[in-house]
Formats: sequence, structure tokens, C-alpha cells
Amino acid sequence: MEIYINGSGCISHQNTIDVTDFFENAQTACLPKLSAQEPDYKDYVPANMLRRMSHIIKMGVAAAKTSLQQAEIENVDAIITGTGLGCFEDTDKFLRAIIENNEQLLTPTSFIQSTHNTVAGQIALLIKCHKYNFTYTQQGLSFESALIDAQMFLNENKNSNILVGGMDEAIQPYYDLLQQAEHIKNQENIIPEIEKNQTKGFCLGEGASFFVLSNEKNKNTKSVISGIKTFTSIKDGADLQQKLKFFLQELNLSISDVSLVLSGNSGDVNDDKILNDCNQQLVEKTNIAYFKNLCGEYFTASAFALWLASVIIEKQQLPKSLINKEINLPIKNILIVNQYRNMEYSFMCVASC
Amino acid sequence: MVFVTGIGIISAIGKDVNETLSSLLENRSGIGKINHLQTIHAANFVAGEVKYSLQELENLAGIKNSNYNRTTLLSLLATQEALLSAGIKDTKEFRTGFISASSVGGMCHTELLYKDFLENKPHSNFIDAHYTGAHATDVANHFRINDYVTTISTACSSAANAIMLGARLINNNILDRVVVGGTDALCKFTFNGFNTLMILDKEWCKPFDDNRKGLNLGEGAAYLVLESERIVKTENKKVLAVLSGYGNANDAYHQTASSPDGQGATMAIQQALEVASLSFAKINYINAHGTGTANNDSSEATAIKNIFSENVPPFSSTKAFTGHTLAAAASIEAVISILSLQHQTIFPNLNCTTQMQDTNLFPVTSLQKNVEINHILSNSFGFGGNCSSLIFSKS
Repeated sequence: MEIYINGSGCISHQNTIDVTDFFENAQTACLPKLSAQEPDYKDYVPANMLRRMSHIIKMGVAAAKTSLQQAEIENVDAIITGTGLGCFEDTDKFLRAIIENNEQLLTPTSFIQSTHNTVAGQIALLIKCHKYNFTYTQQGLSFESALIDAQMFLNENKNSNILVGGMDEAIQPYYDLLQQAEHIKNQENIIPEIEKNQTKGFCLGEGASFFVLSNEKNKNTKSVISGIKTFTSIKDGADLQQKLKFFLQELNLSISDVSLVLSGNSGDVNDDKILNDCNQQLVEKTNIAYFKNLCGEYFTASAFALWLASVIIEKQQLPKSLINKEINLPIKNILIVNQYRNMEYSFMCVASC
Repeated sequence: MVFVTGIGIISAIGKDVNETLSSLLENRSGIGKINHLQTIHAANFVAGEVKYSLQELENLAGIKNSNYNRTTLLSLLATQEALLSAGIKDTKEFRTGFISASSVGGMCHTELLYKDFLENKPHSNFIDAHYTGAHATDVANHFRINDYVTTISTACSSAANAIMLGARLINNNILDRVVVGGTDALCKFTFNGFNTLMILDKEWCKPFDDNRKGLNLGEGAAYLVLESERIVKTENKKVLAVLSGYGNANDAYHQTASSPDGQGATMAIQQALEVASLSFAKINYINAHGTGTANNDSSEATAIKNIFSENVPPFSSTKAFTGHTLAAAASIEAVISILSLQHQTIFPNLNCTTQMQDTNLFPVTSLQKNVEINHILSNSFGFGGNCSSLIFSKS
């Protein structure tokens, strides 16, 4: 089934709010923590609501609103979100308060905003949407879970517009926890060509990417999501390649029909091995680019990749920093192959329409 | 059509379906003194704790040195029973999924180690087990389920949404068989959270009583095995119930409070009836969300009246047995609803003596046996305005 992207909005380490600027000036980042470039949130949320909102809520709401504006709609038939970590800023705040005050004299604000569905709930409140409202959390497949639900929802409900997004925040305590767990790459090991890394660890990123999806094509339609598939275990590069082949076959495509592969290398030498092995077999037939040196690694980085694929198809051009070669136009199909810590894999195919 | 062919449950009123049924039949609430949760408030409150330590839960599951936290072990135990009850030995013979639900996942473990982290003392890596979806990965791997695994976290309505999603995955021909439900372990984080909201009753909760003072927290897990019509026919499976309806809506009123007019709840119930193609008059019993807070019970009662007007069927909240088990509540109450269908029995709403003045509704307060029950509505609502309703029907 075809899912049309009729609007999209993204907050990330790059200036993704201004798409023109993004295409001109996006830079691969060599930092262990890639914080988001934030817009003036007053443009998106009334000041009285903004005051209470944590980082992830603001990012989510701004990305959601941007996608609604692009799609020229004010309300939707469903809000479906995915987040791997949830609202960690408020979780950390409440946990600290419990510990520091020995469970006494606490205030509820951070607790009530700590649940994973806060972003979806706040969007519903903001646009007064009483419809279907779901939040998924499955580590590296959180956004994909939301998208699979979206696919079913559009199959079940004709003429629908739905809001689907993925978001995660990289606040300092989370970064510190990941660093202590030895997941973060040391600064001296960070190189711009993420796929050539020979060391362990990744650079932590954050962001929110939202999409207005519909089963109806209209003048605002940017691209179409033609397929999505997730896996919870991949044996090796050959296994991944095989599964990719089946995935493309189901879409009546071969790898040479794919203009560009966006490969979810995180920069961790072990976690990227299967992807690199698979990519080696694909490189003769297609173009491969990497996106996590733009946005960093996080649970819902694949939502950034989907946003990127969609704007590339819409504009029929590539951000200068993305790939060091010319690509034949038109760009018809972009394949996203993502992995999270070599445990969770996903494929998404985005096409022109 | 989607069929329930297996159920598994662990909560304050029992470690399996049999113990749960006995407690329900004998008016035995599981809410009492706090023994396992390490909180300074333990002496002043009651809660619905599962009566086993982490080690004992591991023993019950028949596993050793798993490093699983309480949330994961509760999930594993209830899943094990559900698969056994559905007679499933091989999780690979059909396209099989695992859809879980949790509000705080590994928090029960994280909160024990966070102090060391804040004080820069050495501590073991707990962040990888903290993620709310981590338990689902572990439990699905344990039972070798991998065609689709995900977790829903919509606060106290989570498990209802997991059940609804499972049904949709079967109806959309994506899966043939799916284990659906939720798990939540008691932790200081949620306990203090609800305490700061001042919605915890220090004594036994009294859902739907005019003098209700708040909820009692509980913990537990429950899962259903849902199977397609094709499997049920070809494998000649015993059907425990039919999941005939489901609805999901958002109240869009306030981050935590329910609207006085019960708009979200009303919409969720209406949708569930539409999906089931049933008129409201066919509902024989409502297993209410009924937390015991002033706000929930009055908003839910209003929603019930919006749908049923003067013909409200018998209803009860079973949270005075189990406590409010948050993300697991809807699946725990789904199992209880299925027991109601199987035994044609309405389990009572304990501790309620005074009728609510605003809606004049009064729940079933004593065990009712030999009642004709064909269709049960089960409600679940949560923070973020999430409202979900399910309808279970006799097969």
C-alpha cells in the first residue's frame, strides 16, 4: 500500500527547519554529542504551555506543527508517535528530586510529563484532536512501530490524514549514562567518514521528525513511502542482503532501481559490520550515503533518515555534504537501511510520485 | 474475528489464573502492607504487591541468573502461562508476534542505582535495561518470538492498546498469532509520583464510592494469546473468548485529569461498540477502569451514562482486588473479564458502600453467579488523555 507524505517537519542537529539552508550548509559533525538546533518555539506553542514543556516535548510539537503547516491541515485522524527513551529530562528531574529529598516535598510536574505518551498527548491537546492516539517504545524500532501502525490505519480508514513522528532527547544525564556504559565514542576517535570507523562507540544525537501521512495524494504530496520492514535479528551481511532482496522484490524493484541507499552506520566498528558487509555487495549497483554523521545516533534516527529521503526526492537534489559524487536524476527510489546497536534493523523505501 | 486462546496473569491476587480466580471468588483482595518496595512511605500506605521477591520470581519462572528486573520477570511469567494455556509449544509454526505494554519498564532497577550514578560512584550498567521496551525484547527472545515485537506506552491504557494492536495485526493479515498484554512493577518513581498528585488512598481504595479518596497502586502482568480464525479452525483450538471490539480516542482535555463530560472515554466506548457491531444494549457487564480517584470515577461514570443513559448494565471495578497496575491494568482486567465470561460470574467492586451523588450509579458489590453474560466492555484510561475500550464476547 502506498503512503503519501504530504507534510514533514524535523528538528535535528542540522538546521532542518530551514530546508534551503540545510541543503546548502549541512555539515557532518565530529562531536560525541550532537545537540539539536532549536527554533524559537514561541512560533509554535502558546507561551503559557511552552513554559512547562521539556526539551523533547518542544522538539516534538515544533516538528509536528511544521508538518501540519506544510500539509495545510489543522487537524488529523490519528497521532502516532515512537520514542525509544521517552521523556528523560522529566524522568531524571523527578528521580533526582526523590533521591535528594528522600521522597519528601516533591512536586508533580516532572512526574506527570515523564510518561512516554506526553508528546502525543500534548499535540492532541494543542490541536484538540480526540482521535486515535498511540505511542510506541521499542528501542531502535520505536519509530518503525509507529509507521507500521500508520500503514494499517491508512489501510483501515480511507481518506485519512494522520500525524506520525519519532523523537528522542540527548540530555546530559543520559549522555553521561551512555558514556559510563561505554557506548559513546571518544572524541579522538571521531572521523567524518562514519563508515570508515575502526573504533567502538557512537556519537549521541537527538531530534524529532514528524510527517503528515495520507492515503490520498494531493498538491502538497512530497513523496511516497512504498515499503517498511523490521527485523529483530540479522545473522550476517549475507542474511541482510538476502532480506533486502526479498523486500525490494515485494516492491517490484531491484537494487539498480534504487538511486540512493541511506545507510544507518553508527560509527561503531562492531555494530556496523553487518551493514558494511552488505553495502559492499550493493555499492557497484547503487549509491550509498550515510546520515548519522549529520544527526547522530539515537533510537529514532531512522525518522530523520525518512525526513531526509523525502526532502531529497521532493527537491531532486542532494545536500552537499551527503555524498561525494554526482547522482543521476531523477532520484526515484531511496532505500533506508537502519540498524540500532546491531540488534534491531529496518528497511524503508521512499519513492517519487 | 480474533480469538483469545490463552491467558496468563500474575498480580497481588495470585501467581496464575487459578489463584486469581480463587481470590476473586472468595473476595480476597491482594492489597495490603508494603513489603517489597523500598520506600519511606511503606508504613503509611497499602499496595497490591506481587508476593514474591526477585529471586522467588526467577525460581517460579524456572530460570537462573537471568539479571532480569521485576518488570521483565512478571512479563515472562504471565507470558509463559498464556502460551501454555493456549497449548503453544512451537512459536515458529505461524507468524507470531509479541506486543507488550509498560509505563516505566526498568525503572524499578534504575531507581536503586541512580543515586550512585548521581554521586559518580561506580555502578553496573543499568541504562540498557532501563528502556521501557527492553523487557519485550528479552521476553520475546526467551520464547523465540520474532515476527513482530513492540511495546506500547500510553500510561494506564497501555495494555488495552497492546490488545487492540494485536487484533489489528491479525485482521490486517500481518500476523496469525500474537501474545498481547502488559507489565509494570511497583517502584518508588511511580509511587512518589502518584503521591505528589495526592490521589493515593492510604487505606483500601473504594472505587465508585461517593467518599472515595484515591487509588491503591499495584503491580503485575497479564497476557492473552490472540489467534486468527484460520488457526482456530485448522488447529481446532479451544476458544476462551472472542475479542470483538476495540476503540481508542483522546480526551484532549488535560495532561493528567479526565474531562468532566468524559468525552474521550465516551468516544472510545462508542468506537468499540461500532467495531463489534453491537448496540449498547447487548453489553451485559462493564469491567470499569474505576481507579477510586474522585476525577476518574466521576468522568467514567459520566461517559457510561452518555452511552447507556438510563440502562447502565451491571458494572464493577476490580482494582480493589489488584490495585491499579498501570500499564498492565487493561490486560489484568481483560483476563478477569474473560474469567467472568467463562464462569458467567460478575466479580464485585469491593469497599463501595455509598452511591455517587453526581451520577447515581452504583456498582455490583457482591459476587454474582449464574448471570447471563455474552458481551463485556472493559475500559482503560491514562495520562495524556489516552482512552481505550475493549469488548470481549462469549465464543
